[in-house]
Amino acid sequence: METFVQSLVSGLLMGSLYAMIGIGLTVIFGVMRIINLAHGEMVMLGMFAAFFSQKLFGIDPFLSVLALAPAMFAVGVLIYRFLLRKVIPGGELNTLLYTAGMSLLVANLALFAWSGDYRTITLSYGLAPLRPLGIAVPVALAIGFGMAAAVTTALWLFLGATDTGRAIRATSQNREAAILMGIDVEKVAVLTFGLGTALAGTAGVLLAPSLYLYPTVGELLIVKSFVIVVLGGLGSVPGAIAGGLLLGLVESLGAVYVSATYKDGLGYVLFLLVLLYRPAGLFGVGKS
Amino acid sequence: MSRRAAALAWACGAAAVAALPLLVKNAFLLHVVILILMWTVLGAAWNVLGGFAGQVSFGHAALFGIGAYTTIILFLKAGVAPWWGIPLGGMAAALGSVPIGLICFRLRGPYFSLATLAVAELAKLVALNWESVTNGPVGFLITDLPQLRLLGHAVDWEAKTPFYALAALLMGFALFATARLRQSRLGAYLVAIRENEDAAEAIGVDTVRAKVLTLALSGFLAGLGGGFYACYFRYVDPDAVLNIGLSMEMVFIPMVGGLGTVCGPLVGAVFLTTVGEAVRERFQVGHLIFYGLFMMIVIRFLPEGIWGRAALALRGRRKEAKGVGAA
Repeated sequence: METFVQSLVSGLLMGSLYAMIGIGLTVIFGVMRIINLAHGEMVMLGMFAAFFSQKLFGIDPFLSVLALAPAMFAVGVLIYRFLLRKVIPGGELNTLLYTAGMSLLVANLALFAWSGDYRTITLSYGLAPLRPLGIAVPVALAIGFGMAAAVTTALWLFLGATDTGRAIRATSQNREAAILMGIDVEKVAVLTFGLGTALAGTAGVLLAPSLYLYPTVGELLIVKSFVIVVLGGLGSVPGAIAGGLLLGLVESLGAVYVSATYKDGLGYVLFLLVLLYRPAGLFGVGKS
Repeated sequence: MSRRAAALAWACGAAAVAALPLLVKNAFLLHVVILILMWTVLGAAWNVLGGFAGQVSFGHAALFGIGAYTTIILFLKAGVAPWWGIPLGGMAAALGSVPIGLICFRLRGPYFSLATLAVAELAKLVALNWESVTNGPVGFLITDLPQLRLLGHAVDWEAKTPFYALAALLMGFALFATARLRQSRLGAYLVAIRENEDAAEAIGVDTVRAKVLTLALSGFLAGLGGGFYACYFRYVDPDAVLNIGLSMEMVFIPMVGGLGTVCGPLVGAVFLTTVGEAVRERFQVGHLIFYGLFMMIVIRFLPEGIWGRAALALRGRRKEAKGVGAA
């Protein structure tokens, strides 16, 4: 029983960060119909930014996130304005392959610049886990969870209650109708891509103290984030939250009760099954 | 191209391929040429599915890996010589592609691509963990290739030339298969599927059957490439033959050369492999940086690919000339 609760908790903590990555991918897909294969690399960039700001300037990752999130937003805006926008008219598959090229370029430039060594961020206060009710909770993961929950709630309010947020949702639901309502969809697209990239980068910063850092970590994360968004239904933010938590749970429970070696495989099998039988996601809210 | 011109082009190509090892004595250059030939086969494998049928697979490493593992396991555990093992590797990959196709082809567009990615990752996990068959992360190593006598001479496997001949044979087969496919009824179906799948279905094309058949052909070619890889590098492990990067490289080659053309994969392989190997000399992952960069540049400025653009330009000029003649 204790093992069960333990893996439940660590699954949910990890899942909250997965969910953030997934939300980033899903809002971009919703508005632009782009599956951004370079999304995992944006997480990786966030992780390395956190690593270097701690190593070079001694800034705690949970503090540097305040500066790094807007920085990643700017990175996203620049990528969209100067690279992606010109390719989108070429069609879905061209854009997909373009982001595949970008992913390879960024990951290998990082590998060239920073080498393939595994790095870790150690926090002086994060050495011993918290032990509420006898369950071990790593400090870094707990703070990460808190911040991810805060960011997700803020995003929820932004999408739900502000004019810009409504414009994003409207464009996501029906682009033509949004144009007819006088929404500047081009502006919405820039904003959304920046937002999605910022979410990925922020998740990277928050994940950095809990995972190994290496330049090709994006490869692993991008496949995970596909699993998440497909589970929840492509284009749906609540779906991505649920999908992220679910994947976290499946991984941690699967590692304990099924097989540690096939832990990652469980996610893929779930992914294929959902794609085949519930292409709109488990909750039937996504767009096919 | 008229039939005579096509035959002439094939003959010239074959002569050039046969003459090349006589001209190139440098072992490194010959190694690069062998890699170009191997990547042409792999690019052609992806091209029949991605270029002709428009089905973008991100999981071709799985098929390549099946070929490589089949060839090396048959050799090490059952003593099947590689020249039988390579075609058997191709067949195993073709067989393996059927269930993959039946699952993934129920999806379209980007969803198909994502599903193939998941399949390839699953294949890698299986290879990593099914130790009794695949030897897990350690993989296999071939120390000695079996003796073979050809025309009274013992084949020297330490030299590059026999591998060159083998790779040239495989490439010839891959290009020939692509050329035949393009002229066949199946080829026409595939183009119809690429342009508009619903319309193709409406006029009576059995799209699933056509796609599964094409994937099998694609798998066969990728498996041949994998088998050749196993013999040439004499080393197979999950990271070497089943990683995502490999799937991506297989996409990039026909993409850069020209999607849905016969010679595109060859042009793409010549271009990417030459640049890649030149950069790899300096630093290990350099070629992947350039692959990514070229991919972005090609899609942005040259979506038909190098050969595709050249063919278009040529056709345009010919038409112009004809137009003038008629007037």
